Amino acid sequence: MNRTPDPIITIESVSKSYGGVEALSEICVDILPGEVHGLCGENGAGKSTLIKCLTGVIPPETGKITVDGTPLRHGDIHAAELAGIAVIYQESTAFLDLDLVDNLFVGREIKKFGWLDRRAMEKRALAVMQRLDFTLDLHTPLREFSIAQRQMVEMARACLRDCRLLIMDEPTASLSSRETKTLLGLVTQLRAAGVSVLYVSHRLEEIFQLCDRVTVFRDGKLVATTPIEQLNRDQLIGQMVGREVDVLTRHKEHTERTDKIRAKITGLCSRGRFSKISFEVRSGEILGIGGLVGAGRSELARAIFGVDRYDDGEIQIDGITLKKGSIQSAIEAGIAMVPEDRQHQGLILPMSVSENLSLTILAELTKYRLLHHDREAERVQSLMQHLAVKAANAKMEAASLSGGNQQKVVLGKWLATKPKLLILDEPTRGVDVAAKAEIHRLIRDLTEAGMATLIMTSDLPELITLSDRIEVMCEGEIAGQLEGGTATEEQVMRLAFPRGEAQRT
Amino acid sequence: MKKFAYELFLLGLIGVVFAIAAILDPRFLSKNVQLELSSEIWELGLLTLGMTLVIITAGIDLSVGSAMGLCSVSLGLCMHANLPTWLCALACLVTGLTAGALNGSLVAFMKVHPLLVTLATYGMYRGFAEGLQSATTNAPVDASEGIKSLAAGTFPLVPLLFAALTVWTAILLGRTAAGRGLYAIGHNEEAARFSGIPIAKLKFWIYTYTGLLAGLAAISYSARRSATAEAGMVIELDVISAVVIGGTSIEGGRGRIAGTLLGVLLIHETRQFVDWYWQRSELTLIVIGTLLILAVLGHRFLFAQNPKTR
Amino acid sequence: MKYRREASLLILVAVLSLLATLFDGSFVRDNTLDILINSIPTMIISCGVMLVIITGEIDISVGSLLGLLAAILALLCSTVSPGLGIHPYLAIPIVLTIGTLIGLGTGCLVVYGRVPSIIATLGLLIALDGAQDWLMGGGDIKHFPQQLRNLGTGTKLPINLIFTILVVVATGLLCRKTALGRRIYAVGSNRSAARLAGISEAKIKLFVFALTGLLTAMAATLWVAKLGNVSTSTGAGLELKVVTCVVVGGIAIRGGRGRLLGVVLAVILITMIRTVLNFMDLGSEAVKWQRAIEGVMILVAVTSDHFSQRQQSGGSS
Repeated sequence: MNRTPDPIITIESVSKSYGGVEALSEICVDILPGEVHGLCGENGAGKSTLIKCLTGVIPPETGKITVDGTPLRHGDIHAAELAGIAVIYQESTAFLDLDLVDNLFVGREIKKFGWLDRRAMEKRALAVMQRLDFTLDLHTPLREFSIAQRQMVEMARACLRDCRLLIMDEPTASLSSRETKTLLGLVTQLRAAGVSVLYVSHRLEEIFQLCDRVTVFRDGKLVATTPIEQLNRDQLIGQMVGREVDVLTRHKEHTERTDKIRAKITGLCSRGRFSKISFEVRSGEILGIGGLVGAGRSELARAIFGVDRYDDGEIQIDGITLKKGSIQSAIEAGIAMVPEDRQHQGLILPMSVSENLSLTILAELTKYRLLHHDREAERVQSLMQHLAVKAANAKMEAASLSGGNQQKVVLGKWLATKPKLLILDEPTRGVDVAAKAEIHRLIRDLTEAGMATLIMTSDLPELITLSDRIEVMCEGEIAGQLEGGTATEEQVMRLAFPRGEAQRT
Repeated sequence: MKKFAYELFLLGLIGVVFAIAAILDPRFLSKNVQLELSSEIWELGLLTLGMTLVIITAGIDLSVGSAMGLCSVSLGLCMHANLPTWLCALACLVTGLTAGALNGSLVAFMKVHPLLVTLATYGMYRGFAEGLQSATTNAPVDASEGIKSLAAGTFPLVPLLFAALTVWTAILLGRTAAGRGLYAIGHNEEAARFSGIPIAKLKFWIYTYTGLLAGLAAISYSARRSATAEAGMVIELDVISAVVIGGTSIEGGRGRIAGTLLGVLLIHETRQFVDWYWQRSELTLIVIGTLLILAVLGHRFLFAQNPKTR
Repeated sequence: MKYRREASLLILVAVLSLLATLFDGSFVRDNTLDILINSIPTMIISCGVMLVIITGEIDISVGSLLGLLAAILALLCSTVSPGLGIHPYLAIPIVLTIGTLIGLGTGCLVVYGRVPSIIATLGLLIALDGAQDWLMGGGDIKHFPQQLRNLGTGTKLPINLIFTILVVVATGLLCRKTALGRRIYAVGSNRSAARLAGISEAKIKLFVFALTGLLTAMAATLWVAKLGNVSTSTGAGLELKVVTCVVVGGIAIRGGRGRLLGVVLAVILITMIRTVLNFMDLGSEAVKWQRAIEGVMILVAVTSDHFSQRQQSGGSS
């Protein structure tokens, strides 16, 4: 090993607490020039808080952060920017109504005599895209770009600011495998240019593929910073949860497959989204739908649940054909769906856990058309116990729960309807390792009890280990079937890529 | 009692108004004066019931006053034609129902922003009322004896109706699946949709209900005064103010009928006292405008459980 | 198509002119100037309210504010009691300052008091209306010095029109060519992202509200100058007209989107409707139904627009 160079950023015993709860306590981390530094930990471990301290969104309570030996002014977004710290946030920070040039430069416009110098901005935008090796139209509003393209714009924005440290917070959470690959390529390119990257991700494969060192947080405390070659997967998980959890191992062979067909989809078409989709899901079976983001998985889920209308085809539940584009009739027929976006579609955050859980079964809880509060409380209590939701009481706001517990509530409000077909769209996105394992176990148990399950996920290990069968979608069509458990990630990817591209990758 | 802290605060404010009145001129508190001044409260009160539901879904209805004008004119036309009283009243209510249903279908089924819909119908309904009136009777129509005895006679039909509807609306909001659905829509429409709440249906009905209430208010107004296109002019400002002062959040998801009732009472008593004591209506406007802003500020800073979130 | 909205508004303006020309060949020649001059207050204030709506807020107090400011100017300038007879060149800056300060106050309520802007400005709408009545004490105010009237009637040059064009051009430059303009759009498009980009949401919003106050004061000045009469109903209902124009002009009510050109065309169109209806002289019947016709047209505009947008996006989210 060479002599270690001086770190560009040193974080010394930084602490921060919210309302008496320590979010960070005495954290010490240093980041070397040109390294990709992984940051891992379960949700609520303090990763986001550290990022906010670094970028000046919030000031730490104690400790200091130095950049190249100079202390950073705390709680000052501009100071952090000047010091060369840039972030790509988990949630999109794009301005969808503005075009690419505006998006790159808003907040630090190039001016000439006080007026915007559009030509200069366009020139620099082209230059930075060239450096990152992609091209997008300069004058299209960002709304018309895909999520991956928007993310590229954000990387370009970070690069424009001559950053020394780029913080990436779950950048691949909503990307397909191919787009992830492009993004990871960009990260490697940045590293080669001497930029340090602080990489936050729940996806351990990426951490191992990309990072030089990994720092693990647990409950706001630093567990360790370790060079990646000294760690294996289990050890890393062990550091994160403080105990050994076997996350993605298959507990047992498939359940006895019954022959009762629960859901039958025939020739479903929706122009511009998907076409000719046909498959069956039996009772007691988990059917996984794999594919790249944009392959039409979420759109398919939405169509089956009646969120969007479709042009042609038929959906049957237990032999009864469903009305098009009506969520109510889908629910009546026994379909339930855990949507992609927990915070906006799954839950009503300002309402209580109890109100969220009972929202789908209000009809059952009424007597003489009036809500029966005692019965509601009873049902909610039993659901919370069944799902092991960690909440002080049912009256708490859903917003105050952790991501994993929120997802359990979403699952719970649908289990309450005793669904025949459960659709899960990215059920464990942004959920920490332990909660993920619990959710997987729940899904398995329920399916064994006779439910049919349809799961759409970008997480390949999850897709393969959880599903009994897998349908892989590509460009809106079903590209092929695989057996769950025995399929390999490579096989899935081979089907997921459009023909002609698979060879290249 | 924490749950009703804001309502207690409003009760306190009403107490303050009464206290000031008691000091300046205790006659204001006498039964006769109160009864005499109470006639206007029923129209305001009726309209706030619908508006509370609408605002809880993060919507708004600017057209209630105009709809009331249109109802009043249609009532006037019927009375002018010497139709039987029940038919006149029915025509008035159907007009309101139709106006509300138009708002409702544009908001619920066409998914146009309620502010835009009701901004347009605000002008449109009043325009129709004026057009209809000037094209036919060209003057306010005095209430027929039948309508008078129905809505402004010795039997307190309007107050009783208001009381019944208040109870009904409060139960709807607090104790039924539909009410829970309205709150859910107000907080997060997307998630409510994914939970299978019949959003379009609920929205359609609350705007239609508001229209119906405008019809009722128009009958009451016309019986007291006359059937005219002027009915309900600028009352929407009072209605929205009363609902918001009553603690319903304009951003949706929060609000109760109890608060709205107190809001109505507070606005009403303030207005009547200022009008009655100083005889200056412009002063009332200043007081009520200020009251509205202060009430929202007060709610933000004194009662918000989590002042950080907005 | 990017300029779809502007194109359809332009077509409507053209169709209306054509219709009117069919009735009278000289309509365009005789009335263009009138229509433009009649649109002045709405035009100037729309420039401000447009920016407010782009930031995702709304201001419905401008009608009452215009009335109040007109009353103040009238009281300061009028040569007859209760007027103070102050020289207009002194009075106008006072009114502009008051307008800006009230706008700034509205902004503070919204930004620091966190009162939703529709409620804050509704409160002001009511309170300022009261203040106007209170100042006026019931009667109209007339008799203004010639220097003030000249601004409105002009001698040869329509000074007020030229001034309005300057305001519109300046607003256009602000939107397109300055960092501030882009930041106004940025705040409306995505608040939290704007904050992370180091943009101060508070400053931007204070600015647009204060600017709206200032523009309303300008409009009030030109209003008094032109009409030479202020009554208690001056400015009543203007706020709804302005919001209608801004929305018909294509500014998204949720913020972030829309262009000045559309608003300018919408103001002209809506002012034109009234003039044309008057002009076509469809008999006394039509005049009575004028407001209803206007209302229907606005409803159709607002609704059809939403409908076509929904078709375009195809429900995908």
